[in-house]
Amino acid sequence: MNGPIRHLAATLFLAMLALVGMVSWLQVIQADEYRNDPRNARVVAARAGRERGTIITADGVVVAVSEADPSDPRVFRRSYPEGEQYAHIVGYSTALFGNTGLEASKSSELVSNRDSTISGVLNAVLGGDLRPRGLRLTINDELQTVARDALGGQTGAVVALDPTTGAVLAMVSNPSFDPNTLLGIDAGPAGEALENDPAEPLLNRAAQAAYNPGSTFKVVTAAAGLETGIAGPGTVYDDVTELALPGSTATIRNFSRGPCADGTQVSLTTAFARSCNTIFGELGLQLGAEPLVAQAEAFGFNTEPVTDFPAATSTIPAADTFTDALAAVAQTAIGERDVRATPLQMAMIAATVANGGEVLEPYVVAEVFTADATIESRTEPTVLGRAISPATAGALAEMMERVVTGGTGSRAAVSGVRIAGKTGTAEVPGAAPHSWFIGFGPVGAEPGQPQIAIAVLIEEGGSVGEDATGGTVAAPIAQAVLARFFGRTG
Amino acid sequence: MTRNAEAALLIAAAVLAALGVAMVNFASGIGFDAQVALTFLVFVLSFGGVHLALRRWAPTANPYLFPIAAFLAAIGFIEVYRLDRDLAALQRWSLLVAAALAAFILFLLRDEGVAALRRYRYIFLLLAIGLLLLPLLPESWPLYGAEVFGSRLWVRVDLPFGDRTLSFQPGEVAKLLLTVFLASYLADRHLALATPRKIGRLSVPEPRQLFPVLVAAGASFLVLIYQRDLGASLLLFALFIGMMYVATARSAYLISGATLVAAGGVVAYQMFDHVQRRVFAWLHPFEDFTDTGYQIAQSLFALGSGSLTGSGLGLGRPDLIPAAATDFVFAAVGEEMGFAGSVAVITAYALLVAAGFGIALRARDVFRKFLAAGLTLVIGIQAFLIIAGVTRLLPVTGITLPFMSYGGSSLLANMVLISLLARISHGERT
Repeated sequence: MNGPIRHLAATLFLAMLALVGMVSWLQVIQADEYRNDPRNARVVAARAGRERGTIITADGVVVAVSEADPSDPRVFRRSYPEGEQYAHIVGYSTALFGNTGLEASKSSELVSNRDSTISGVLNAVLGGDLRPRGLRLTINDELQTVARDALGGQTGAVVALDPTTGAVLAMVSNPSFDPNTLLGIDAGPAGEALENDPAEPLLNRAAQAAYNPGSTFKVVTAAAGLETGIAGPGTVYDDVTELALPGSTATIRNFSRGPCADGTQVSLTTAFARSCNTIFGELGLQLGAEPLVAQAEAFGFNTEPVTDFPAATSTIPAADTFTDALAAVAQTAIGERDVRATPLQMAMIAATVANGGEVLEPYVVAEVFTADATIESRTEPTVLGRAISPATAGALAEMMERVVTGGTGSRAAVSGVRIAGKTGTAEVPGAAPHSWFIGFGPVGAEPGQPQIAIAVLIEEGGSVGEDATGGTVAAPIAQAVLARFFGRTG
Repeated sequence: MTRNAEAALLIAAAVLAALGVAMVNFASGIGFDAQVALTFLVFVLSFGGVHLALRRWAPTANPYLFPIAAFLAAIGFIEVYRLDRDLAALQRWSLLVAAALAAFILFLLRDEGVAALRRYRYIFLLLAIGLLLLPLLPESWPLYGAEVFGSRLWVRVDLPFGDRTLSFQPGEVAKLLLTVFLASYLADRHLALATPRKIGRLSVPEPRQLFPVLVAAGASFLVLIYQRDLGASLLLFALFIGMMYVATARSAYLISGATLVAAGGVVAYQMFDHVQRRVFAWLHPFEDFTDTGYQIAQSLFALGSGSLTGSGLGLGRPDLIPAAATDFVFAAVGEEMGFAGSVAVITAYALLVAAGFGIALRARDVFRKFLAAGLTLVIGIQAFLIIAGVTRLLPVTGITLPFMSYGGSSLLANMVLISLLARISHGERT
């Protein structure tokens, strides 16, 4: 009779062993899969409930903060006091839509380590600081506000950089959205509406959208001319009304439909100040595809940007694709055809000229600080490479200054400050043109003197429409930001 | 091991329960409060009382049984407390009553031992079937049946004072009575059942011998199937088969039993949508995530989120699992105490089963042997069925986890069960 009892005991033990096998499978082998399943409400609760670090601007304005729920001190609520103004930079940390922007890329610093994981407990036992870190941005709230106000209701973007460090001083994209509306469990419809909005408010146009750069690309073409020695600021060209393109019936004409100057001869500097397509088309033809593409790539085209925020790659077709299409080289040289640049890339070009030719890595996080407000780490400027020689940079700076003092960019002028710039008006098939302005100041800065580089892009005519140009639409916005930076009003 | 060691282990279990309550309190920012002391007191009173009863009326009883039960009760209580403080308060009362009843059983059986129960076996059978039928009482009666989650397993009485309703699950007690009946009946007839009559080439047990068993099994089944209680049906069936096997040592019972389970499963699957839904949820818990698969999916999320060491007491979200305090308490333990807690619980059941079968092996007469084996099977099969359901090894059958799930009827029945096992082991140790 004891035999059957032993058999039953053995059977039950095997059954219990199967249970141990099952919990091993669920809790050890597959644990992460279940833990991170998006339908697991714990993921949502953990995201929504944890304390996250404070994010402030360079001038101390709080743009993201976590506050304990009055009814349950363990649950923290994230809020974004500045609403739309920092939505694209800071992003959001939500229950339903996950994290974006710095909330995603700097999550490990921003999140509290106070948890019951083995590393969390060890850290606590060893006296580590478990409180979340805070971030200080490079963004200056005053400039950010001015840029946003200047954009008004127009669709577009403003990027301002410190040319000496690469720090982003302002980055605005319009239209924007209020991340506070996406926080709750009930934010589903609000998020869907944003995603389906044809105006694409979620897109950071300043860094993630690439456009035809138009005439602002002439800075790159001029740089290639100066670097190769094919042209100099004083090089003189025949002032034609129309540039015939080899192997094509198409021609290149100036914006005015007339000659660049008096119809006889014109220098590269004057052609630059007046943004003459005929002369720069001609220069493009003289250069050929190879040096032009190489110059653009030296400025950062065709390379994924190294940044601490999401940024798209600006592109120019490879040199060998132009072999049978010289006409395309000329059109590329004036920023049309298939060249695409983000406002951030164009701001970096202006900054590179201001900085004597060195390309710096743009960044928005200046410091990571602890809960005791001591600085834990500080972002050091990183040189990505040299795009042009200091001599070329100096010559380009003077040519760009002429754009503002006596050319298409006069509306970017700030009294008492030497401002350099370049306007652009990029044709959009079937719509009003995109308006561009890139620039920097002051020209010939002393070491230690505050400097700023800027790019402004307004999509499809902005508030002006068909007649919009870089000089009339984009330059005044740049002027507002530059004037505030240099302490001038108006 | 001695009674003194048992006393020390029981106090350790009381400390465990109190510490668990304190940790849950700290996690929610409360800290020490009366609940901690109250929990310690109730555990010491309950198990201390049973311990004193053992010292007096069954001093040589197996000293492992109650410490293991107390450990499981403590772990379960912590999770119930964490999920719902009101339920925990009720559970403390249940524990006191259950312990008192267990001590009372030891008192009743002090002279004759479990042998006294043999006299009443047919009364027990009738009582068991009567109890199983109770939930079918119409709702207009003072004592009435009630349907909870689609299964009609509950009996309620509206108390004359206050606005309270007393509810209990008679099935929990019925399974004990049926085990006693079976052990008793088989103890008389096992020789006859083990030497079957030959009809041609087929060996068939004497029908007259088998008849009462078949009646008991059949009646219980019909009732449970009518009440849609899958878990109890499966438990009772496995119990019948297991005890027949112990009594006759004929593996034919096991084989025919397994065949019947398979056939019954197919028939039940064809006949009942609730069976089909359970099987579908078992095979594809995420396909109908929001409806049929929700509970098992939540259980898997809880267990996975618990990972190796758990979220910590009071720091997980076991409240997301439907029925976390009752049938799915194992998932709640697995989330907050992790793989470590899960394995500890499974091990405790294995130890309890080992102690139970050990008692059966050492028992000197067949009735005690059968009864000990049967009672052990009840605990072991129940624990296995529900943990297997919660971990998706088997479809969910809906049955309480002995000693851990919230529920007075279940705690009562299982404490009595353990006290019967303890009484069997008294004086029969080798």
